[in-house]
Amino acid sequence: MIKILLAGEGGQGVQTVAKIITEAAQARNEKTSFIPSFGVEQRGGVSLAYIQIAEENIPYPRFETADIIVAFCNRAIKAIENYITDQTIFIYDSSAISDDFLEPIKSKVKIHIGIPAQKIAKEKYSTKILNMILLGALAHQLKFNLEEVKSATHKTLGDKFKTEEVEKMNLDALAEGLTLSENFDSKSEFVGSGKPEIKLEFSDDKKTWTRFPEHCKGCGLCVFRCPVKAIQFKKEVGFLGNPLPEVDIEKCIACGMCQRTCPDGAIRLEKK
Amino acid sequence: MTEPVFPKSWKKESKPHKFCPGCGQALALKILGYAIDELDIAKKLVYGCDIGCSLLTWDMFNVDTIQTHHGRVIPTMVGFKLAKPEAITIAFLGDGGGYAIGAQHLVNAAMRNDKITVILINNANYAMTGGQLAPTTLVGQKTDTTPNGRDEAVFGNPIHGPEMIAAIAAPGAYIARTTSNNFEDCKDKIKKALQNQIDGKGFSFVEILSMCPVNWKTNTVESLEYVDKNMANIFPLGEIKND
Repeated sequence: MIKILLAGEGGQGVQTVAKIITEAAQARNEKTSFIPSFGVEQRGGVSLAYIQIAEENIPYPRFETADIIVAFCNRAIKAIENYITDQTIFIYDSSAISDDFLEPIKSKVKIHIGIPAQKIAKEKYSTKILNMILLGALAHQLKFNLEEVKSATHKTLGDKFKTEEVEKMNLDALAEGLTLSENFDSKSEFVGSGKPEIKLEFSDDKKTWTRFPEHCKGCGLCVFRCPVKAIQFKKEVGFLGNPLPEVDIEKCIACGMCQRTCPDGAIRLEKK
Repeated sequence: MTEPVFPKSWKKESKPHKFCPGCGQALALKILGYAIDELDIAKKLVYGCDIGCSLLTWDMFNVDTIQTHHGRVIPTMVGFKLAKPEAITIAFLGDGGGYAIGAQHLVNAAMRNDKITVILINNANYAMTGGQLAPTTLVGQKTDTTPNGRDEAVFGNPIHGPEMIAAIAAPGAYIARTTSNNFEDCKDKIKKALQNQIDGKGFSFVEILSMCPVNWKTNTVESLEYVDKNMANIFPLGEIKND
């Protein structure tokens, strides 16, 4: 019996990965169990998926230690800590989880596999696709081949792929994750770069505009409410994997609309 | 070290709050926070929230908070007010709690002219459970349970809560509708509603039109437009009763 625990931010696609993996396992005629676990909020809580795959019947869907753990984000680390044993295979997003979270875990597990999923997704595909890269890595560790996962993906997400390009992008990301995991040399270093440096303050001689990535959810209200269109989304990401707004300080007229309209209080504008 | 800009009455430790990106309810709560700050009533305030998305506010404010179910936040706050008349009580609930399962509580509190403030968020669907048809859903609006849009012949027309309450409210009641997209107007209406309670005039009720991008499946621009054009068209903004 293999016990798998997935953990990430709600909205990152944790439950989708879980559905595809159970689908692929069922296609092999294995017994599976999958229970999702998340908070009352629709977006933004830590989302967990407990999966078991076995040849014999599964008596109980919960478990206390996991054989494979996939962590998507910093906040997930706290949720998975108690499930680690010295036999655990630990897959994590090395571009999203910072080193101080990872260090205590690395020494406890059997293998740790860092996949820079967020980075690859951002550069090559779309930030929404980072779960497919981690799915590829997980599928390889479970010894599924690419075709099996692809057909499970098609079965689970077929309706959601509105165009062929979207489907191709997802499958390419999946294949890339699988290859990354294949070529991963266990215990060798392929580790996190830590938190990327994000510029927080933009200022000129009259005003300072500050953004708070740990509060910004990327709703875009500031972008569309700005009367002079001085705010744009840029490539940096906030705590939900969302794009962060950035101000063109020369255009900014310091009206304070962005600060007022932000539901999360993630923008501060100060006049000097 | 600069800090994010919150109303003083917000609890800093529980932020970022649990509302979805772009939620109008979060905006309304920010405005309510500023209204509380400006009236300087945080110490006298008791805040009650209902079930649904509004329960996510149980750790929103740095004030004493009660959470109840299915519209019963209104009688709970009435009870609190009766026991401690010098307290200022806010009942915060959604359109499901206020107009559907808990409508009796709202109607009877208005009838008795209880001196509490009710703030109701109207986002035209049941948001927390995944966007089903609510009494306030617009005709033609697609929800999970009306995939072809709300059909008048089957589900009737959306409920106009403030107008309904105004019809039975006693003199001294303050009833208004506003939108969370308009910071100044919304803060003004909330402050008036709270002031009505502080002055002991009567029941005060504010309905706030709010957007729900996740369940409406709209982007930011579309959500803003939907509230400002479609919803404000059906639900006229302004003071419905103020005397």
